[in-house]
Amino acid sequence: MLSEAARQDILRIRSRYPVAQSALIPALLRAQEELGWVPPEAMAEVASLLGVPVETVAEVASFYSLIFTEPVGERVIQFCTNLSCMLNGAEEVLRHVEARLGIRPGQTTPDGRYTLKLAECLAACEEAPCMIVGTERYGNLTPQKVDRILLDTNGGV
Amino acid sequence: MSERVLLRYVGLPDQDDIERYLRRGGYDALRRALRELTPEQVVDLVDRSQLRGRGGAGFPTGRKWKFVPKDAPAKYLVVNADEGEPGTFKDRTLIEGDPHRLIEGMILTCYAVGIRHAFIYLRREFYLGYRKLERAIAQAYAHGFLGEQILGTDFSCDIVLHPGAGAYIAGEETALLESLEGKRAMPRLKPPYFPAVMGLYGRPTVLNNVETICCIPWIVQYGPEWWLAQGPPQLYSVSGHVARPGVVEAPLGTTARELIERAGGVRGGRRVKAFYPGGTSSRPLTAEHLDVPLAHEPLAQLGSMLGSAAVIVMDETTDMVKVIARVCEFYRDESCGKCTPCREGTVWVTQILDRILQGRGRMEDLDLLESIAKNMTGTCFCPLGESVPPSLRAGLEDFRDEFVAYIRGARTPVEMPVRIQEGVLAPGG
Amino acid sequence: METVTLTIDGRTVTVPKGTTVLHAAERLGVEIPVFCYHERMPPLGACRMCFVRVEKVPRLQTACTLEAQDGMVVWTETPDVVEARRAILEFLLINHPLDCPICDKGGECPLQDNTFKYGPGVSRFVEPKRHFPKAVPLSPVLTLDRERCILCWRCVRFGEVIAGDHALKGHERGFLTHIDTPPISMERPSKFIGNTIAICPVGALTSGVYRFRARPWDNRTVPSVCTHCGLGCATWIDVRGGEVVRVRAREHRAINDIWLCDVGFFGYDYVNHPDRLRTPHVRRGGELVPAGWDEALDLVAGRLQQAPPEAIGALGGERITLEEAYLLSRLFRTLGTNNLEFRTDTLHPLPTREWAWGMEPMPDGEIYDPDARQRGLGPRPMGGAIDQLDRVRAVVLVGCDLSEEYPVLWLRTKRALDRGAQAVVLSCKRLEIEPYCTHSVLHRYGHEHRLIAALARLVRDRLPTTPPAPELDAVDVVQIAQDAGVRLEVLERAASCLLLQPVAFFVGRLTLESPWAEPTLRALNTLRALCGGTLALLRGRGSAVGAAIAGMAPDVLPGLRPLDDPEAREALRAVWGKAPPPRPGFTAVEMLQAAASGRLVVLYVAGADPARDFPDRRLWERARENLFLVVTDLFWSDTAREADVVLPALAYAEKDGTVGNIEARPQRITRARGGPEGAWADGTILRALGERLGIPMDYATQEAIFEELRRIAPDLVLDRPYPIPRRAPRIEPLTLDLPEATGEGLVLVPVPQLFRPGEMTGRCRGLPELAGQPVATLHPEDAVQLGLPDGSLVELEVEGARTRLRCRVAQEALPGHVLVPIGFRELPLGRWGVFRRIVRVRVRALEAVR
Repeated sequence: MLSEAARQDILRIRSRYPVAQSALIPALLRAQEELGWVPPEAMAEVASLLGVPVETVAEVASFYSLIFTEPVGERVIQFCTNLSCMLNGAEEVLRHVEARLGIRPGQTTPDGRYTLKLAECLAACEEAPCMIVGTERYGNLTPQKVDRILLDTNGGV
Repeated sequence: MSERVLLRYVGLPDQDDIERYLRRGGYDALRRALRELTPEQVVDLVDRSQLRGRGGAGFPTGRKWKFVPKDAPAKYLVVNADEGEPGTFKDRTLIEGDPHRLIEGMILTCYAVGIRHAFIYLRREFYLGYRKLERAIAQAYAHGFLGEQILGTDFSCDIVLHPGAGAYIAGEETALLESLEGKRAMPRLKPPYFPAVMGLYGRPTVLNNVETICCIPWIVQYGPEWWLAQGPPQLYSVSGHVARPGVVEAPLGTTARELIERAGGVRGGRRVKAFYPGGTSSRPLTAEHLDVPLAHEPLAQLGSMLGSAAVIVMDETTDMVKVIARVCEFYRDESCGKCTPCREGTVWVTQILDRILQGRGRMEDLDLLESIAKNMTGTCFCPLGESVPPSLRAGLEDFRDEFVAYIRGARTPVEMPVRIQEGVLAPGG
Repeated sequence: METVTLTIDGRTVTVPKGTTVLHAAERLGVEIPVFCYHERMPPLGACRMCFVRVEKVPRLQTACTLEAQDGMVVWTETPDVVEARRAILEFLLINHPLDCPICDKGGECPLQDNTFKYGPGVSRFVEPKRHFPKAVPLSPVLTLDRERCILCWRCVRFGEVIAGDHALKGHERGFLTHIDTPPISMERPSKFIGNTIAICPVGALTSGVYRFRARPWDNRTVPSVCTHCGLGCATWIDVRGGEVVRVRAREHRAINDIWLCDVGFFGYDYVNHPDRLRTPHVRRGGELVPAGWDEALDLVAGRLQQAPPEAIGALGGERITLEEAYLLSRLFRTLGTNNLEFRTDTLHPLPTREWAWGMEPMPDGEIYDPDARQRGLGPRPMGGAIDQLDRVRAVVLVGCDLSEEYPVLWLRTKRALDRGAQAVVLSCKRLEIEPYCTHSVLHRYGHEHRLIAALARLVRDRLPTTPPAPELDAVDVVQIAQDAGVRLEVLERAASCLLLQPVAFFVGRLTLESPWAEPTLRALNTLRALCGGTLALLRGRGSAVGAAIAGMAPDVLPGLRPLDDPEAREALRAVWGKAPPPRPGFTAVEMLQAAASGRLVVLYVAGADPARDFPDRRLWERARENLFLVVTDLFWSDTAREADVVLPALAYAEKDGTVGNIEARPQRITRARGGPEGAWADGTILRALGERLGIPMDYATQEAIFEELRRIAPDLVLDRPYPIPRRAPRIEPLTLDLPEATGEGLVLVPVPQLFRPGEMTGRCRGLPELAGQPVATLHPEDAVQLGLPDGSLVELEVEGARTRLRCRVAQEALPGHVLVPIGFRELPLGRWGVFRRIVRVRVRALEAVR
């Protein structure tokens, strides 16, 4: 399921650690970078590449919020709901995001472009409220800024 | 106001590029150490600087380093860059703004303790930080500051940048090690798994916070006396209802009032109702505590703590019940699930608070919350569960009237943005 | 040994250093409640139930993780401890469903018990409880009720620490954590899941077989022994209303510790099955018709009397008690024949005294269990071979799929490996336990004898003083490795492992049921002459070894004494009134060959099924034509259907007596229930025959029979391994020939499988589903080359016969091999000649994959 490049990367990651299992999370993230999420077949492949029991891969993957064991959209929006963001109007901005995308947290837009997830403190409280779209962080959000960001990250659509 | 030390170069253009860093005096401390000091002398400098860990526990760094047996066959340095305590963003700031400082500090630490392999456990959400550190590490290798026989000595050192994957509990040191070993981030028993004795892969491990390590080059370069005379420098993350939230560098023991002033004062000229002095794991304080020095002992005496030195300011418009509910939900969702009081207590508490916010609370619920807080104190496996009672107690003692208002129907019911998972726990009604 | 002295609730106790406060309290009889703590696993400290107050320590401490220190002062009933226990139970109960009335765990539930003793009387929880699907079958024998789970992690850790099969895992985190079979796994059913049911402290994991059948207070419980694989795990049998409703593990620290395998746990329903034979049958006019006992016994006795002594024989022993096997051997030897054989499913019987089935103990019998020190238990004298695994530094498996053949022995072995022992595996398939094995020597089928010879050569060359051994000089290690498809370095690393002492050698069915069994054993003896070590021939189910001791072997007397031993013969003459014949009798193979040529005319089969299990069906058929066949059994087995007289027998759960396990350790079994009316114990049948034959065998009790046997075998002691004489290690002449191979295509490798059809297990709920359909397993390379996708229907063509079955593509098989399981009717391996030589088979696709 994984590309040869991904497999090679995972083997390279494995070689950095004294114990192969340490490479598990970076390996899963690498698989996720390619596939968007980590399906069971990819987990089995990672297990095999690292020499880790396949049962262990599943239990570890499911523990972490940012390892997606179910399909997600092209971009995952991590919207902070923790205290500093909440104090600075995050709820209102979140409602705007929900309205714009037509989805609730945990859901993916019908066109498969965005999955909205609620995140805990992103350690960017100086620009609260903030969110991460894909791998980019955006702060000091307002409804207008959100619209612009969604426009930019959606390829101008 | 002392001259900036830790933040001195943060924000300057291209500080993350090694050429700039070098030109601004970077890696001088490392050169000094390798050429003029023995490892023991470096440890001594850190010890005398009285540096205490900046991750939250405040453990004396020099003493921690000395726990590591000298002749252990394998030892590791692990830097906790999993900054996740709500309201804290100083480590992220240092990583993005001065990544080479962290690397230099790590190499110095490895030299001091005789460590060959170092890891940075970096919060997954720090995508920008990851790119910067990746580049900085590569540059350090290219310049011979990492790898074999650094600067012509027989000291060698390697750094592996390791991503987390979204779990606040992985910021707890033993859970971090579990995660670094590729497992579920569940905390370990102490004893025997004190990291300095049985850490990564069961080997002695120095586990330090980012800010702590960033202090090391300054201490080595300018000495402990100079360091202490600077305050010593402490980073406070100030956010919430302030006009200019940001990282404030100030001497350890600065008061909340002073920090809020430096952060531009309360927004809209309002008054402080409450503030967390050390992230949401600390007990929130009220306006009467604005002049308490924000340091370890004074805060501990108030039943709070310095923790990660994250000051979250809440003004008079703040709904404290909602704040406490949101804070408790955070711990509920981040709980690893290992121990009974945390796993079950956080759920119960959030269910009660949710019901109160929805206008279906009862007066007995206040006694019940107090009882649950008591039952979660001193009974949890790790500090995560223990972080819930402080907020609950502050709520019930200092802001009781707000809870009563909801119970008596004097406040409009509120729906929290983060709801209890449907299908797993059905909120009543 | 260093000790510490501490005070608990005002009383002092001295314990070995390293003891936890929990165990120290146990010694004083002070009970501290626990959930997540389990004695056989390291402490976890998760449930927080075992809090105690320690003076001078601000926080309450968990007793299960706290190491006792000198001068420590501990209190277990202070108000804060009492309050903390109540609080923890309250936390556990807030989302725990009020299922007690419908929960199988009720009555034996630690959560119930602890709540009653320490918990809150009233609930303060007014929120809606969470709900999950109830009674989800995770497997044919395991049911999960997630609402009841208190996340104590015992079941998960059992799979990680004890069994090593990771059968259950915890997914997600926090309050969303749920225990389940992993979404992706090696897809083989766990062999040990019954243990998780036993250790689950609530009703989250329950037996799908025992569901709703009884309450623990309804059951009558007797101690017994499992008689399936031959390990002789100690059990408790629970009976309700005359039905065996459940089997649980009984602690036996020298055998199974506190565990069982799933055949042991769930393989009991056959006892209650309506198919049980209830009346004797005799063949009249070609048909088997019901008859009375007298008629049937008269007929049998008459035939036995008429036939010349050398023309009668008896097969059986595995399925009857040691006492009954003794009576059987006595009867036939008194009639004048040594044609007795307990090994009814092998083509390769070896001299019983030389190559006895079973496990040989280490020379000195003392074993000191480090875990036991903590609890104040002293050394256990006369540990057997299983127990002694705790001391070995290396275990060598030769042709032995340990977890399939003797699963609980794998648990004991794993324990040794966890303590630092290394495992060397010589195998022609990848074993399930391979991740735990230090050196895996995967080789072509049929090369064990050569590889062992090569190892002997390598070991000899590494010894500080190289002993002369011309037999080894001719061993070409490089060639042998190449022929076997093994890399030389792998063999060399394995050899260095053998220099660790003590080392235990296990030989399994794959090797022992092959024509190169004896050459392999001789090579092993040669190897052992150089590096020492014990030898275990892992063969023999039920009370097989017990039967050998009782005398059901043609070439030895009871007690495995030599046939010509004058003292033994005299002792037997004294009790039997007649000495046994001096010359050896026929083995099973020889009996059938004699029958085929008309020289054997009466065959008495006690609880064996040679029509099905004997690996040469054609020989059996020819023998059958000339035999008067008498069978005692529980069901209409294949042999019973072909018999002339069928006598309904009692199951082990319906008898008192002893059975002997593969350590040669006799253990008592206890009658748990009466059998079907009309069925008789084999012992009763034999006594009745004896009466008719003028051989009265009157014993007041089962013990009396045992005592009589002790007169010939004085070292026979209850619950102690009987010292079986075996061939001493020495440099032997080595056979290095490659075995004969026929046919074309992939090499057929017959592999043992724990879950497979059988007369008994086939009549137990859940076990047939676990056995499933037989599959042929191929390596991915072969599968690709032959165009056989995983799961497709294939045809095996061998000796002109064609068989269809599903194929499985897995790395478990090595290239060039196809693995087929033993024990399925669809795969008549014996008929294909599989146990006589190497058989190659063509594998063809039958359908495109769905």
